[in-house]
Amino acid sequence: MLTVVAGPCGAGKTTWILQELAQEPTSAVYVTPGAGSVPIDATLVAAKFPQVEIFHQQSETELLQRLTAGIPIYLELGFQLEIDVPFLKTIPHRRVALVAEENQDAGWQRWADEVILGNRSTLNPLLAQLWRAPLSGQVFDPPSLDTFWQELVQGAYGEVHRAKGIFDLADGQAFHFDFVNSLLGRAYTELKLPRWVQGRPNRFSGIEVVGHGLHGDGDGPLGRSSTIAATLKDCYLSDSLLAAHQAALKDTLPQEVT
Amino acid sequence: MNIAVLSCIHSNLEALNAVLRDIDQQSVDQIYCLGDLVGYGPHPNEVVARIRELDIPTCQGCWDEDIVDGLNACDCSYPSLLAETRGHLAHEWTNQAVTSETRNYLAELPLTLQQDNLCFVHGSPHSQHEYLLPDTSAFIALERVMSTGADTLFCGHTHVPYVRNLENSALTLKVVHPPTPSLPHPSTPSLPHPSTPLPTLKRIINAGSVGEPRHGRPNATYVVYNTDTQQVELREVEYDYAKTCAAIVEKGLPAIFAWRLAQGLEYAEKADDPTHVCER
Repeated sequence: MLTVVAGPCGAGKTTWILQELAQEPTSAVYVTPGAGSVPIDATLVAAKFPQVEIFHQQSETELLQRLTAGIPIYLELGFQLEIDVPFLKTIPHRRVALVAEENQDAGWQRWADEVILGNRSTLNPLLAQLWRAPLSGQVFDPPSLDTFWQELVQGAYGEVHRAKGIFDLADGQAFHFDFVNSLLGRAYTELKLPRWVQGRPNRFSGIEVVGHGLHGDGDGPLGRSSTIAATLKDCYLSDSLLAAHQAALKDTLPQEVT
Repeated sequence: MNIAVLSCIHSNLEALNAVLRDIDQQSVDQIYCLGDLVGYGPHPNEVVARIRELDIPTCQGCWDEDIVDGLNACDCSYPSLLAETRGHLAHEWTNQAVTSETRNYLAELPLTLQQDNLCFVHGSPHSQHEYLLPDTSAFIALERVMSTGADTLFCGHTHVPYVRNLENSALTLKVVHPPTPSLPHPSTPSLPHPSTPLPTLKRIINAGSVGEPRHGRPNATYVVYNTDTQQVELREVEYDYAKTCAAIVEKGLPAIFAWRLAQGLEYAEKADDPTHVCER
C-alpha cells in the first residue's frame, strides 16, 4: 500500500510516519520529494529505522516494484508542494492528512481519505519563507549551538514557525533538533549513529527554517552578522579545536573510533 | 544611612540615568559602583563621564580592566565559541570607541572599596573576573568574604542580583603534626583549638546589573542597603531599553546584542559553573 501523507507545516507528518514505521514488521519505503540537498526528515527516518529504504524522488518504476512486492510505501509531501501529484493518478493510494482542528478550513480534509489530528499551524502559506542549508562536515560547539537555537526559535532572526535540523556535535554524536511554534518547548533527539571521532563527518547534517521575515543569509536588515548563516558559522569548531576534541575522545572511547 | 550599590552598567546610558532617577526617590546618602562601566553597550564615554560627574566611588570591573590591559581572561569569561566571538567583537568596538580620558580613568580605578564593615568588589576579592554565584561553594564564598575583613561583601559580575547569608560562619583550620621521632612517646598528633565561631553574620549581596540584566526582563537592577538595619532592597527599574537597542544598531555593534538586551538575556558572558575558580 502506498500512503501519501500531507498537511500544514509542522503538523507532525514525519512523526506520524515514524509511528507507523515502528509498527511495520518488515521493511518499508519512505519517499520525501522536494527535500533537495537538505533531507532532514529522511536522515531522521534512516537513523531510527535503518531497514527502511529512502527515496528522494518519485521513481515510478522502482516504487511500483516495491508495491508489487508488498512493501509498504510512505510518501511525505512537503507543505509547500502541491497535493495533486501527477504520478499518483495512476497508482492506488491512501491519502492521510495531518491537520489541527483550527486548520481544517484549508481544504486538507477534502483531499484526504483519512484525517489525523495534527499540530496547529499558524503559518500563512502565502507569506511563508523557507530557508535551509546543508551543514555536512561542520561540527558544532554544543553551548554555541544551544544559544543559536534559543535565539532562532525566539525570533532573533525573524518569525520562526518551524525549525528542524541535524547537527554533528563535538563529542561525535549527531542530534536532531525540532521546533514547532504551536507546541511547548523544543525537542532534541540523539540519533543512533556511530560517533564520528576522526576528521570531519562525512554524513548529512543540515537545517531548515520556515517562517516570515527570516534573516537567512546575505545582508539582513540589521547587517550581515545578524543572519542565521553568519551565526551558525560562529558556532563551528575549527580544524584545530575539532582535532583537540577528537584526541580527547579517543582516550575515552577507543572502541568507537571510526 | 542608606547606600545604593550599582554594578555592570556596560555602556548603557539610558539604564544608568533611569537608575539614578530611581535612586533620587530612595533617600540615598551615598552611591557605590562595582565597575564594568564599559563593554557591549553603545555609550562607554558617556557612562564614565556621568559616574565621574557624580563622583561615585567605583571599583574596577573585568571589562574596565580588559579595556586597559587587553583580553587575557581564563575560561570563565565565555561559555561558548559564539559568546567568545561576540565578546571579542564588543571588546574591539569598545577599545576603538573609548577616549584616552576614559581609558585613564578606568586604569586608575581601585579593585576594592571598603567602608567600615562593608566591602565592595566587582567579581570577588580574588579577581574582577571571578564569579560568586548564589551556589558557589560555601567554603569559597565564606573565604572570599573573610579575606576582606568585612562582614558584608557587595559584588556584581553575575548580572543576577541575590543576597546570600553565610550564617554561623567560621573557618576551622586543622593541622596535623607528624609524630616527632625524638619524642620519647609519640602520641596522637596534637590538634590546635578550633577557631571560635565568629559571632557576626557574613553576607554577600549581589547588585545585579544596571545595563545588561540576565534575569529574563530588560529592566535594570541595583541595591539599596541600610547600614543601620542591614536591610537590603533589590530594586528593578524599567527604562526605555528600545533607545539603547537602537543605539547599539546605529553604532555598529552586533545587532544580536539589541535583541538579547530586549529579552533580558546576557550579551555573551554567562556565569553558570559555581565550581569554577577563576585562574586569571
